[in-house]
Amino acid sequence: MTGFSPLQHEADALGAGLPPLMVAADRLAASVSLGAHGRRKAGIGENFWQFRRYGSADSVGRIDWRQSAKSQHLFVREREWEAAQTVWFWRDSDPGMQFRSGDISKLDRANLLLLALAALLVRGGERVGLMGAAFLPAASRFTLSRIGHALLDKAMQEKERARTVQTSGPPPTPVARGSRIVWFSDFLQPDIEDRMTAFARLGVVGHLVRIVDPAEEDFPYTGRARFEAPRGHDSALFGRAESVASDYRARFTAHGEKIARTATKLGWSMTAHRTDHAPQTALIALHAAIGPS
Amino acid sequence: MGLFSALSFGAPWILAALAALPVLWWLLKVTPPQPRRIFFPPIRLLLGLKDEEQTPAHTPWWLLLLRLLAAGLLILALAEPMLGRNVKLLGDGPLVLVVDNGWTAAKNWSQRQSLITDLLRAADDRPVAIVPTATPGPVTLLDAGAAEKSARELKPMPWPGDRAAAAAQIARAHLAGRPQFSWLSDGLEDGQGDTLRRALAGAGSLRIFAPDRPALGLLPARHDGTGFAVTAIRANNQGGLRVQVAAVGSRGETLSDAPLDFRAGDKRGQTHITLPLEVRNQTARLEIRGEDSAGAVQLLDTGGAERRVGLVSAAATENEQPLLSDIYYLERALTPFADVEKGTISDLIGRRVSVLFLADVGQISGSDVDAVKKFLKGGGVLIRFAGPRMSNGTDDLVPVSLRTGGRYLGSAMAWNQPQHLTSFPALSPFNGLAIPAEVTVSRQILAEPSAELTQRAWARLTDGTPLVTARQSGGGWIVLFHITASPAWSSLPLSGLYVDMLKRLLALSAGTPAAALARLSNLAPITVMDGFGHLQPPAPDIAPIAARDFERVQISAKHPPGLYGAKGVASALNELGAAARLEPLSLSGMQSYGDARTIVLEPYLLALGALLLCLDALASLWLRGYLPTRLAGAAAMLALLFVAAPRAQADEAMNLKAALDTRLAYVVTGLADVDQVSREGLSGLNLVLKARTSYEPQDPIGVDILHDDLSFYPLLYWPMDPREKNLPPEAISKLNDYMRLGGTILFDTRDLTLGAVRGANSPGQQTLRRITQGLDLPPLEPVPADHVLTKAFYILKDFPGRWAGGQVWVERLPPAEKGKERVPARGGDGVSPVIIGGNDWAAAWAVDSGGHPLSEPMPGGEMQREVAFRFGVNLVMYALTGNYKTDQVHAPALLERLK
Repeated sequence: MTGFSPLQHEADALGAGLPPLMVAADRLAASVSLGAHGRRKAGIGENFWQFRRYGSADSVGRIDWRQSAKSQHLFVREREWEAAQTVWFWRDSDPGMQFRSGDISKLDRANLLLLALAALLVRGGERVGLMGAAFLPAASRFTLSRIGHALLDKAMQEKERARTVQTSGPPPTPVARGSRIVWFSDFLQPDIEDRMTAFARLGVVGHLVRIVDPAEEDFPYTGRARFEAPRGHDSALFGRAESVASDYRARFTAHGEKIARTATKLGWSMTAHRTDHAPQTALIALHAAIGPS
Repeated sequence: MGLFSALSFGAPWILAALAALPVLWWLLKVTPPQPRRIFFPPIRLLLGLKDEEQTPAHTPWWLLLLRLLAAGLLILALAEPMLGRNVKLLGDGPLVLVVDNGWTAAKNWSQRQSLITDLLRAADDRPVAIVPTATPGPVTLLDAGAAEKSARELKPMPWPGDRAAAAAQIARAHLAGRPQFSWLSDGLEDGQGDTLRRALAGAGSLRIFAPDRPALGLLPARHDGTGFAVTAIRANNQGGLRVQVAAVGSRGETLSDAPLDFRAGDKRGQTHITLPLEVRNQTARLEIRGEDSAGAVQLLDTGGAERRVGLVSAAATENEQPLLSDIYYLERALTPFADVEKGTISDLIGRRVSVLFLADVGQISGSDVDAVKKFLKGGGVLIRFAGPRMSNGTDDLVPVSLRTGGRYLGSAMAWNQPQHLTSFPALSPFNGLAIPAEVTVSRQILAEPSAELTQRAWARLTDGTPLVTARQSGGGWIVLFHITASPAWSSLPLSGLYVDMLKRLLALSAGTPAAALARLSNLAPITVMDGFGHLQPPAPDIAPIAARDFERVQISAKHPPGLYGAKGVASALNELGAAARLEPLSLSGMQSYGDARTIVLEPYLLALGALLLCLDALASLWLRGYLPTRLAGAAAMLALLFVAAPRAQADEAMNLKAALDTRLAYVVTGLADVDQVSREGLSGLNLVLKARTSYEPQDPIGVDILHDDLSFYPLLYWPMDPREKNLPPEAISKLNDYMRLGGTILFDTRDLTLGAVRGANSPGQQTLRRITQGLDLPPLEPVPADHVLTKAFYILKDFPGRWAGGQVWVERLPPAEKGKERVPARGGDGVSPVIIGGNDWAAAWAVDSGGHPLSEPMPGGEMQREVAFRFGVNLVMYALTGNYKTDQVHAPALLERLK
C-alpha cells in the first residue's frame, strides 16, 4: 500500500502537467519521421530477435519449450544484442540562452529540438537521457516526459545557472565510452573549447547544435547604444553602433568557424541553427547525423 | 498692447528666475542623452571594437527648445500671472468691505461676488473686515481664509439694508491704521447714503462701487375685471426701458406675461396682464423677469384661489343609498375644484365657506336666515337645488318666487315628453357652454311669472320655463337650480355640463377675503422669500404677525416678505407697498462694478508646462529607441483624452441596434462571470424562441442601467450577486420609470448557486433587498395557478431553472371575481413590472457558441432544462404580449359574435 501513493502522485503530476513543449516536440518529430527511415518494425518486443534450432553447444536451459512443443524440433530463443546505444542530451541554460530578438528565445528552441530529437530516437529504440538529471537513460515515452519536465523545472535551471558560473557545459556524468552527447548551446562561453576537449577525452562522441539568434548574427543595431552582458559587468558603449557592425560580423563568423574546427578535430559534428529558421530543417539534419548508426 | 497692460503678477520677483534659462540651455547641451541599453549575449565579441565616430551625442535642438519652454512656463506660472481687472490697494491698513446686501443688491449679485473675490485676492495677507448693511453686526478683522469663507456665505437679504447701523458699527470698531474702505453699494439712496459715506471717508480712504443698472421694483397689482394692472418703478428716469412682467403660477409656471415700458423721464411704468378669470385664480405671484430680487416680486393672497364650499342636504338617504343622494353628485362634481365641507348651515358659515350649496332645503330655519343673509352680504354665494321639500313651499331666500307643487311628466301641467335645454341667454354666466343633446328634464319647480324672471333666468328649457335663476343679494348671489342635484328629476347631473356649470358658479364667487377670515388670530409664516425672490420654508425665528397689524407691518429680518396665515388662506406680505419709491444714489467718486473678471493664469500655465514635460518624456523615449514597443502605452494615454467622444458614438450605435430589433436584455453587473452567464443564458433562450415561436430575437444586449436608454427593452434579466454595488439615485429613478412605462425586470436571486440555503437570508435575496431599496415595487404574491404566466405559451405548473422548487413572485393580481364563471387565466392590466425568483434561469438556458448546454439542471436533468426553457418562452411571450392571452379566453365568444 505504501508504494502506491508516491507512484500515484508522480503519475498525476505527469498527466496533469504534460507541458505544451512535449506536444510541440511530438508534433515536430512526427512531421520529420515520415521521410526518414524505419529501423525496425513497431510492436515487436524489445528483446526478442529470432528462434534458432537447438544446437549441441546450447545449454538445455535455453530451450524455449513453448515454441518447441509446436513442432518436431527444439528451438532456442535468441535475444537481440542488448547493448542499445545511449544518447545523452544536454542544453546550456545560462542567461545568454534566454536572449531573443524575435518571438523565440534560444533556450526555447533548444528545448524543442532536444525533445523532438529525443522522441525520434526513442521511436527508433535508442535510449535517451538527460545529463545532470536524476533518472537513468531509457527508451520510453515516460523518459521523454521526464526529460521535458526536467528541462522546464525552474529549480533545476537555478541550480544549473549557479554551477555554470564556474564551469560551463554539461555537468560531470558517468557517461559510457562510445555513447553520444547531443549538446545544445550558443557556444559563446569563453571556456567552451576546454570543456569539449574534456568530454572528448572520456571517449564520447559529441554532436554540437549551435543555436544562433538572428540579431547575434546580423547585428541590426544603429545609433547610440550600450551593449551589456547577460551575466557579469562587461559592457560596450558605441556612439554609432552601425559603424562596428561589419567588424562584429566578421568576428562572429570567425567564432563559429573556430567551434566547428574544434569539433572536427575531436571527431565530433556540429550543426548550426538560427532561431528564425524552421526547426524541421535542423531536426532532419540532426537525425541524419545521429539517428542511424 | 491691451493684453499686456491687463497682465499683472502676484509674485513678480519669481520672474528673475528666467535669467537662469541660458544656464539651463548650456547644461542640457553638454549632457548627452542616455544611450539605449541592449542586453547582448555575444558581448565578448564586441569588446575592444572601436567606434569610428567618437563625437559626443548632442541633445537635438528641438528637444532643448521644448525643455526650455517648459521651464519658462513653470517660472511664469509660479509668478502668479493674472489677466484682467487689478484691484490694487494702497497703504497697509486693513481692508474693509461694506456690502449693501438688501434685496436691492440681489440683481447682479454674482458681479458683486466676483469683485469681492478680486478685492480679497488683492488684500493678500492684510486683515479684512466684511460689513453687510442688511445684517450689520460687530466689525471683526478676519484673516484671508476666514474672509473668503464669510464672503462666500454672504447673501442678499429680502429686507432693505440699514446703512446708518453699519456706519455706527464701523465707528465703534476703532480700526487700527488707515483702513481701505470699499463700499459695494446697490446704487440706491435710502436717505442714509451720505451718512455712511462721510463716516467711511472720515475713517480711511474710500472707494464706492455702484451698479450700472440699479434694481427695479414692482408695486402691488390691482385686480380688475380682465386681469392685473401692474406698476413698476425705477430709480432713475433716463432713457426708455422695456422689461417683461409675468404672472406665475404656484408651481413656477408662467401663466401670462406682458411687456412693461418705462418712458424716458418716467420713473414709473405700467402695463396690464390679461388673464381669464380661472387662470387669474391660479396666479401665485407677479414678477419682473430677469430681476431676481424680492422687490421685483408681488405675491398674491391665496385665499381666493381655492374656494371652500359647504354642502347642506336635508335628505337623510345620504349614507344608505349614496347614488340617490343629492350630496353625492355635488361632491363628486366639486371635489376637483374646491375644498368641500359638509355640515349644517350655521356650522358651515362658521367655517367660513365661500359658496354654500343647499340641496332640497325647503325652509331655512330661524336663526340660520340671519346667518345666511349676513353671509350673502359679505359676498357669499348661495346655490340651492330644488327637490320634493321645496315643492311644498319655501322661504324668501330664492331668486324668484316659486309655485308650489312641481311639474313633471304625466302630472296636471304635464309634458308629453322630457324637455331639452335651450341655449343659454347672453347675460348668463353659462353662456358659451355646449349643451349635450341627451340632457333632459322630466320634472322641475316652476317660477311665478314676473317681470324680472327674464333677466334672472340663467338657463331655460325649450318651452321657455326657467331651469336656473339667480339674483344678486348684498355682495353675493343667490342661485337656484329648479331641479334636484341628483338625477331624480333630470339627467343633467349625469352630464359634463353639470360640472361645467358648477365650475362657472365657483368662479362667480370672488372668494372670501383671506385677511377677514382670520381677523382675530395671528398670522404665522408659511413660506418666506429670500433676497432673490425665491420662496423658502421659514426659519424658526420668524415671528407670526398679529392680523390687525398686518397692513402696517414693516419688512425686516423679523418679518421677511412671504405668505402668512394658514394654508389655503394666506396673506401675502410684500417687499414694496403701493407708496414705495426708488431714488438713485448720487455720491462723488462712484465707479462701476465692471464686467471684467480677473483670470488667474497660473493653473493653465502649469498644465501647459506639464504637457510639454510629458512630450519631453515621450521624445526622450523615442530617442533612446524605446518608443516602438511602448507606442501602445502612449497611444492609450492619448486615447484617454478622447474617451468621451467614442462613448457617445457607442451609445448611439447601441440604441440603434436596440431600436431596430426587439432584443432580450440583461443588466450588466460589471462582474465578468455573472455577465457571461447572463449573455449565454439569453442566447440559449434566443435559440429556443427562434425554433418554437414566431418571435425571432437578435443577439441579446447587456444594458448599463446608469448610462443606457432602457426604453427599448421589454424584458431585463437581472441576476443578483453579493458583489454588486448599490444603485445611485439616478439609476433608481430610471428603473422606476422603466417599470412604470411597462418594462418587466426578472430578478434572479440564484439562491442555490450562491449558497446552500434558500429563503430570506440567502445571499441573493439579501442582495436583492439591498439593491431594490428605493425602487417603487408593487405588492407581490407568489404566482397563482391561474396567472397568465402559466399559460402564455406553454401550460406550466412550476418554473424551474438550474434549480427547481423556488418560489416565483409577481405583482399581486386583483382578486378573482366571486360568483363569476371561473376563467382559465387572469392577467391584470399590463404586465407585472417585476418577476422575482431564485432558480438561476440563465444558467439553465446557457449554451456555448456551438449550442451545447453549459450547466446541469438539478435535480431534474434535461427534462428540467426543457421546462426551464418553456418558462423562458412563457416569460418572453408575457413580456411582449401582456394580458393578450387572458383575453384569448374570450375568443370563442368573439368568433360566435362574428358569425
